[in-house]
Amino acid sequence: MATRKQRAPVQYVQLDGLVVLKLIKHCQEEGAGGTDLVQGVLLGLVVDNRLEITNCFPFPRHSEDQEDFNEVQYQMEMMRNLRHVNIDHLHVGWYQSTYFGTFINRPLIDSQYNYQDSIEESVVLIYDPLKTTQGFLSVKAYRLTPAMMKFHSENDFTTENITKHGMTFDKMFEEIPVVTKNSHLVNSLLCNLEEKDKEADKFNFLDLATSSMLQKNLRQLMECVDATTMDINKYLNCQRQIMRQQQAKQQYLQKRQQDNAMRAQRGEPPLPEEDLNKLFKPLQSPPRLDCLLYSGQIDNYCQQISSFSTQSLGKLFMAESLQNDGQSN
Amino acid sequence: MSRFFKAGSDSESETESSEDDEIIQQRPSAAPVQSRTFQFSDDEDDSRRIVRSAKDKRFDEMTNIIQQMKNHKQIKDMANVLNDFEALIKAADKAKKVIQEEGVPRFFIRCLFDLEEYANECWEDKEWRKSISKNNSKSFTSLRQKLKKYIREKYEKEVNDYKENPDQGDDDKRDETPAPQDEESEDEVDTSVKAPVKPKLPAPPVIKKQLPKSMDDDDDDDDDIDWDSSDDSVESDIDDEQFDTGKLTAEYFLKKSDSGTSKKEKKRKEPKQMKLEETDEEGDWEEVKGGAPLIMERPKMFGKDQEINVDAVLKKLYEITSARGKKGTDRNEQIELLKELREIAETNNLGLGIDVKLYFNIIGAIFDYNPNTLTSMRNDVWESCLSYLQTLLNILIDHPEVNVGEHIKEDDENLTEAPLYVRGCFLTLVEKMDEEFTKMLQSCDAHSTEYVERLQDERQVCDILEKTLRYLEIKGTTLEISRIYLKRIEHLYYKFDTSCVYTGDNEPKKEGTSEQTMDKLCKFLYTSETPDRLRTRAILCHIYHHALHNRWFQARDLMLMSHLQDNIGHSDIPTQLLYNRTLVQLGLCAFRQGNIRDAHNALVDIQSSNRAKELLAQGLLPNRQNERTPEQEKIEKRRLFPYHMHINLELLECVYLVSAMLLEIPFMAAHEMDVRRRMISKNFHHVMKMSERQTLIGPPESMREHVVAASKSMKTGDWKACKNFIINDKMNAKVWDLFFQPDKVRDMITVKIQEESLRTYLFTYSNVYDTLSLHTLAEMFELDMSVVHRIISKMIINEELMASLAEPTQTVIMHRTEPSRLQSLALQLSDKFLTLVENNERILEVKQGIYPFQNKRDRNDRQPGTSAAFQHHTQGVVEGEGYGPPTSKSVTNNQHWNRRNNKNYSRESRNY
Repeated sequence: MATRKQRAPVQYVQLDGLVVLKLIKHCQEEGAGGTDLVQGVLLGLVVDNRLEITNCFPFPRHSEDQEDFNEVQYQMEMMRNLRHVNIDHLHVGWYQSTYFGTFINRPLIDSQYNYQDSIEESVVLIYDPLKTTQGFLSVKAYRLTPAMMKFHSENDFTTENITKHGMTFDKMFEEIPVVTKNSHLVNSLLCNLEEKDKEADKFNFLDLATSSMLQKNLRQLMECVDATTMDINKYLNCQRQIMRQQQAKQQYLQKRQQDNAMRAQRGEPPLPEEDLNKLFKPLQSPPRLDCLLYSGQIDNYCQQISSFSTQSLGKLFMAESLQNDGQSN
Repeated sequence: MSRFFKAGSDSESETESSEDDEIIQQRPSAAPVQSRTFQFSDDEDDSRRIVRSAKDKRFDEMTNIIQQMKNHKQIKDMANVLNDFEALIKAADKAKKVIQEEGVPRFFIRCLFDLEEYANECWEDKEWRKSISKNNSKSFTSLRQKLKKYIREKYEKEVNDYKENPDQGDDDKRDETPAPQDEESEDEVDTSVKAPVKPKLPAPPVIKKQLPKSMDDDDDDDDDIDWDSSDDSVESDIDDEQFDTGKLTAEYFLKKSDSGTSKKEKKRKEPKQMKLEETDEEGDWEEVKGGAPLIMERPKMFGKDQEINVDAVLKKLYEITSARGKKGTDRNEQIELLKELREIAETNNLGLGIDVKLYFNIIGAIFDYNPNTLTSMRNDVWESCLSYLQTLLNILIDHPEVNVGEHIKEDDENLTEAPLYVRGCFLTLVEKMDEEFTKMLQSCDAHSTEYVERLQDERQVCDILEKTLRYLEIKGTTLEISRIYLKRIEHLYYKFDTSCVYTGDNEPKKEGTSEQTMDKLCKFLYTSETPDRLRTRAILCHIYHHALHNRWFQARDLMLMSHLQDNIGHSDIPTQLLYNRTLVQLGLCAFRQGNIRDAHNALVDIQSSNRAKELLAQGLLPNRQNERTPEQEKIEKRRLFPYHMHINLELLECVYLVSAMLLEIPFMAAHEMDVRRRMISKNFHHVMKMSERQTLIGPPESMREHVVAASKSMKTGDWKACKNFIINDKMNAKVWDLFFQPDKVRDMITVKIQEESLRTYLFTYSNVYDTLSLHTLAEMFELDMSVVHRIISKMIINEELMASLAEPTQTVIMHRTEPSRLQSLALQLSDKFLTLVENNERILEVKQGIYPFQNKRDRNDRQPGTSAAFQHHTQGVVEGEGYGPPTSKSVTNNQHWNRRNNKNYSRESRNY
């Protein structure tokens, strides 16, 4: 806590070109074209108010039956080796690929919490390989908000606690702007390459991959909505049960009171007090974290869809005007 | 029992371990004991024929082998010892299960141990080894090896235990004589063998005394007290002696006692055997005529000089019949007596009346013969029954002056003078006979020649039925006529008559076909005053008969007119079963006629439960939820139809699946986008799902797999593959050839497959076409242009296909108004959001449950707003997909489509 107050929180993330390329390479080679998730470790440094990520390495893929594989050991080993060759070896977060923006889920939250718990400035980079193949490099940095950290640390996801923390789905993560930066040498190399590449004029930015993209997004959105509905149903049932129990409790108490009043009239001692909690065990209300996550995920999908359709609409208008131009000429 | 005996009784193991000369000395003494005992137990086996537990049987087998082995060991016949050893191992293997339960039997371990010792000994004896024949020595070596291996592999621990603690076995030894017998019978003896504490020894006789009793109880159900007691005494005698042998006293070896027991044994055996034979003869578990026979004076029916007249015969008849039903009456005897009486009466010319009366009594006695309603008659009895019925019937027909009936009281009987009145109902006898016939068919294996033999009697039965029918038509009341008509119908309806199949040609109608008979009989039943049950059954049989002979419309109309569907649930179970059969037959008929939907609807109820077998009473299915009680099972078994009346279940299932395929595949293709998948046939979906679950799908083998494969190819519109899967040699043999005129059916199926494939094709692929030539379609599906035109027009009219026909070019122009996938997804999504919102509001309601009124108003305010928003939303999506300024056409289409969708929704909401 003390450190956080001293140092200004990270304002933006500065990505090295190397990291991006490595990330893409890893995803391409092991992620089966984006459908499988890949993960890895980010290395870098905090400088002033920016987090510089200068290198990364992937988590090796291992199947379920290789129980004896020790990830921590592997990471330590890796970092030690990198240190030997004088590369930044400070652990500043991790990255993960995603399939159509499906990443807001329990495991991500848990591991990010662990990261941030031990390394305060750590972030998670979410890389979307499908968008990248469409021509938009999509790397986003996220971290849990301090409120979320606190909320998570209590490990109590009941409704009461949520209201106490004022937790909503959009307050779980905060996105940090990402800046990609290359060294001057690399920039000049790129300029060189650009000059050499004569056939770079083939744009297919007017490509409308609308339907399949939207369809998939919609499908996933539907899944999420279904899950939310289920969750809400669960919650509803629980509510009803609680209501019923409350009623029973009330009835019981009333009866007890009446009995006691009768007994008092007859001059008998009142009935012994019994533990109400034993008679009516307080019902456990279902944890609401999942619901929060689903909502966050839905929100995420909606944003994606809207941004996507905005772009598509723009393209459509462009296409229209182009068409008109062609006809008038 | 003192220590002396223990020392004196030379156990096998001791002998083996001691010196050679000792063996020679002592063996002879041990041998007879053993052999005698075993003979004894063998005897027991033969005489008793009891059902023993598996354990007893196995252990007995093993002890026998061990005994033989001992004998062979003595003469050092190694080849035989080896054989015995191998046999023993086999026996032990067989008894593996028992051993697992009971533990390794002591005697077996002992035997192994002894054998090992014996082998070692012989091995040591080099001189002997040299002397023996080559064959013997070979056997010996192999025995030694095998034994070692066997012990090492299996019973090392036990043998070692035994080695360490042989005295326990020694104790055993003393008991060995009774032991084998014990082991064959009861568990508790085990304890006495294993823990032979000295003071306990006097106990065994008690145990054994009880033993035979219990066995006897097992032996025959109706435990005969007389026999039991005598058994007991004999048995206890034996036991005493037997037990004496345990002491190994000198007398024991005397021959006298030996032969004595065996004699007694024999004595016991003889009556037992007799009894067995008797029961065999009876063929049933019934009271054996015991001590006081009721009818001993059988040979003498009448006194020599007694005048035989009607009265005397009647008196005798009453005498005989009064014994009926009493315990201890020999029913066989009764029948014989009655027969004899009839013969006497006949020889004395006592007249027709007496004759008829006696016939009634004889047949009645025959039906009485089986005390149990479940068991069927024996063949010879049945045949005699049939012949008596025939004769009686002939008499009745030939002599119309004989009046028969239940209404005639005993006192009013007139057996001598011209208008004869005899009490007795022939119809009842016929009905009973029919019942017996069914029972006999039920009781024999449907695939045996016996069944065929029995079935040959069907002709005779029908003959009797017909004659009775003619007789009753003259003499009987309406009710009686109805009853016999129904019987006749029930013997007629399921038989296929090729002469009356409706072929469609204008052939001259043949006379005397079963159709006409059915018609006549049934119509009589419909019109006359008959109980509802008879009429219902008649209708069902009539429908069945119509359906069986492809008269679909008559069958269907009769079914619909009868309104049986509504109230069949209230009728008795046999009628319900008949209804099921009729329904199935109706479905099959509809299928043959190409009315696929009707076929499906008729069969769906029977088939969807997967209990067709049970519903048609063609066999019992294991009941999953609750085991049925034996009584229930018996009742259900009695309801089963005899095999020759069965409807082929595989045919039934195939017809169902094929019709489901023809309906479901186009339906699925048409409603691919629907939010909620409704299905026509759950069973079909289940079958499809099962096949999808398989990891590897090979070429189809079973009927079901064929249909699944066909459905899959139909999905892609590949009608040829589909047809080849449905109609091929395998399926022909399994299913289609079972139909009358299978080629017609096959042609029908082919056409249906072509049509439905075309529809599926249009549903599935219409979105990739702008226009489609009718010619091409007709070529693709090898259908007539007119047929294709018809199908497409129908689809357009039913709004299944958004297209129009262009007559001049003979093409189908697609309108592309089907919602795209994206659109339908969006619709689904909006639907889901609606439910989500509703649920959310409900949570709010719970929270604010205190102010229900306010809340309600709130909700009412909100509700239209949200739904309007969603409507707007869907509209937006629909129009947004237009990619450009909406032309007038597309707007209309959109509107049109929206209307259609709204309709869908309203339909759906109705479904909820």
